[in-house]
Amino acid sequence: MKRLIKFFTSIKLAIVLLIILAVASILGTLIPQGRSLEEYAARYGTLSTLFIRLQLAGLYHSIWYLALLGLLALNIIVCTLERLSPKWRRATKPHIAVDPKSLSALKTNIRLKRNAPLADVQSEVTTVLAKARYKVRSETQGPQIAVLARKRIGGIFGSDVVHLGLLIILAGGILSGVTSIRANIDLNEGDVKPVPKADFEVRLDKFTTEYYPDGSVKAWKSDLTVLEKKTPVLSKTIAVNHPLTYKGYSFYQTSYGWNWDSPAVEIWAKSKSDPATLKKMTLKVGERALLEDKGQTTIAVQRFLPDFVLGESNQPENRSDQPNNPAVLIEGFRGAEKIFSGWIFANYPDFAQMHAANDKDKGAETDLAFELKKFEAGQYSVLEAAKDPGANLIWIGCALLMLGLGLAFYWPTWEIKAVLEESQGKTELIAGGVAAKSREAFGAEFENFASALRRSK
Amino acid sequence: MTESTIFLLTFILYIISAFFYLAFLFSKKPDRAKIGSVMAVIGLVLHTAALIVRTVESGHAPFTNMYESLSFLAWASVLAFLIIDKKFGIPKIGPYLMLIAIGLVALASSPLMPKDVTPLVPALQSYWLWLHVSVTLLGEAFFAVAFITSIMYLTAKEPEKQDRMDSVSYRCVAVGFPLFTLGGLVFGMVWAYKAWGTYWGWDPKEVWSLITWIVFALYLHTRIFRGWKGKRSAIIAIIGFLAALFTYFGVNYLLSGLHSYA
Repeated sequence: MKRLIKFFTSIKLAIVLLIILAVASILGTLIPQGRSLEEYAARYGTLSTLFIRLQLAGLYHSIWYLALLGLLALNIIVCTLERLSPKWRRATKPHIAVDPKSLSALKTNIRLKRNAPLADVQSEVTTVLAKARYKVRSETQGPQIAVLARKRIGGIFGSDVVHLGLLIILAGGILSGVTSIRANIDLNEGDVKPVPKADFEVRLDKFTTEYYPDGSVKAWKSDLTVLEKKTPVLSKTIAVNHPLTYKGYSFYQTSYGWNWDSPAVEIWAKSKSDPATLKKMTLKVGERALLEDKGQTTIAVQRFLPDFVLGESNQPENRSDQPNNPAVLIEGFRGAEKIFSGWIFANYPDFAQMHAANDKDKGAETDLAFELKKFEAGQYSVLEAAKDPGANLIWIGCALLMLGLGLAFYWPTWEIKAVLEESQGKTELIAGGVAAKSREAFGAEFENFASALRRSK
Repeated sequence: MTESTIFLLTFILYIISAFFYLAFLFSKKPDRAKIGSVMAVIGLVLHTAALIVRTVESGHAPFTNMYESLSFLAWASVLAFLIIDKKFGIPKIGPYLMLIAIGLVALASSPLMPKDVTPLVPALQSYWLWLHVSVTLLGEAFFAVAFITSIMYLTAKEPEKQDRMDSVSYRCVAVGFPLFTLGGLVFGMVWAYKAWGTYWGWDPKEVWSLITWIVFALYLHTRIFRGWKGKRSAIIAIIGFLAALFTYFGVNYLLSGLHSYA
């Protein structure tokens, strides 16, 4: 039992846990996360049931992964506390008394004899060390005086600050997991929608998409207004990387969508037999216009697909909401009688082909050519509203993490101990230094200290 | 001079530098290492100029696609090496590091990497792009130096050289680890929070950064508390760099996720 407790409070456990966490995390990047059951079944066959049971489909939120993190947190707490109190004592109430023999055994040491009384040498040592920013303490031990000088003692707490930072980050993660609110809000221009679980609303005043010269998207901008009881209180143009924050909620520009309900399409109709005829029409789906050609044909726009594709049964289908292959289905009428119909494509103007509705009118459609020149549809803005009280803890944790790393690596504690003893008017000094880090720099500083003492008479 | 001309000159200088370092390795004449390091410095200055020209021409940070970030990683690796060499005087790692830098530059120049200046997608339009990517890659560059010194530790015969390589490896991790933590994890979380509204999304690139971080945390803990030095430390540092490399490179080609930029 004792051994078990010892294992749980040991750095060994920390190492084992870190290895397991690393391996588990790798597994989570190899198995796609959060897919449908069917997809796992198709991908892994019979193994998929085992995967689901082990929660590998949502590995990072599984009970066992969280338990590993919890265990690691517990281990960090225990290990840190165990080391903290001796460290605290070392920082605040250090042992000053020291055996001179142990000093001369140190790698960096000095031994010298001075023709001066002890008190003089002691004050000189103190002055030299204090000048180099050491905090000097001394104590009488029998006939001798022991001196302890240290600088940057904060460095010994570096790892503790790192661990505290990590614990706060984990706590922030838990808080986020339990309390964060996240929801998408789709807004057309002019829409007012309530914010989930909040007592205010947002209104989209304007949504614009800016493009680069090559046609790719440069920016999405939403002019957003926060309404409290129907009264505007705050307005801001948000964009990706520039959210609006109000009452703990942040509003992010995450996406956009097209309003394909009734786009306006511009169609050009030409007559092959009479090149002078060129009719430009801007129509919405369901609308019709009269062509002033010889046959007095009426054109109707029947359907619009932003991303035309032929489906499995050779039927036109829409592949996505993106205007990748915009197409309109138009029909030609003479009076009330349909005489032809066909699809025309914005990206493939030569691909349009009209089909006669019946044999008797064959030929009428071949005289006319149509082009889909332009289409215009409104875009709506997709925002994410998020409230995440855990985030603040994360930032505090991160700050401590970096502070701790700075202390641990770049605030090395240096310690110089000395013993002074007077005999027959002469004072003997034995001193030694210890540095946990930056030993070379410390060696140089100790050498300065030694030569300063040697020089003075 | 255009960016590609300066880039080519950089490449040539790195090759000359590697050549002199190799000559030093075989002849043991220190003046050759000296020429090697001078060439590396001139190469680095030109490389810096190429990056600046790229930045001015594109109007954004020079690491938004694979070509740019490979070039930047090569730049950071040479910089890290020159700093470490200046501080600890280990020209022997010169030939290996310069070969890695040449490899990175060659890969960046290969036809596989589109070099066109492309406009920045909305998600990347942020000053966090500068902070996040440059600090992370600089950290990874120090891991690269630690990787080389660790391999040299494993191949070294004399205990004196082994001690030296072990200590330089540790110093590199001591620089690389805080930089990687700051750039990769902390700045990454801050930016993710600003752009996506969530500081951590278990995206494969995030997870692999965490894995890399865990490996180097293991390096430090096994070293300090279990007294693992030398061989075992060297192996962990090698694994750590490979994890960093996978985070940077492998994730893009083998795993899909939010970080589908570079």
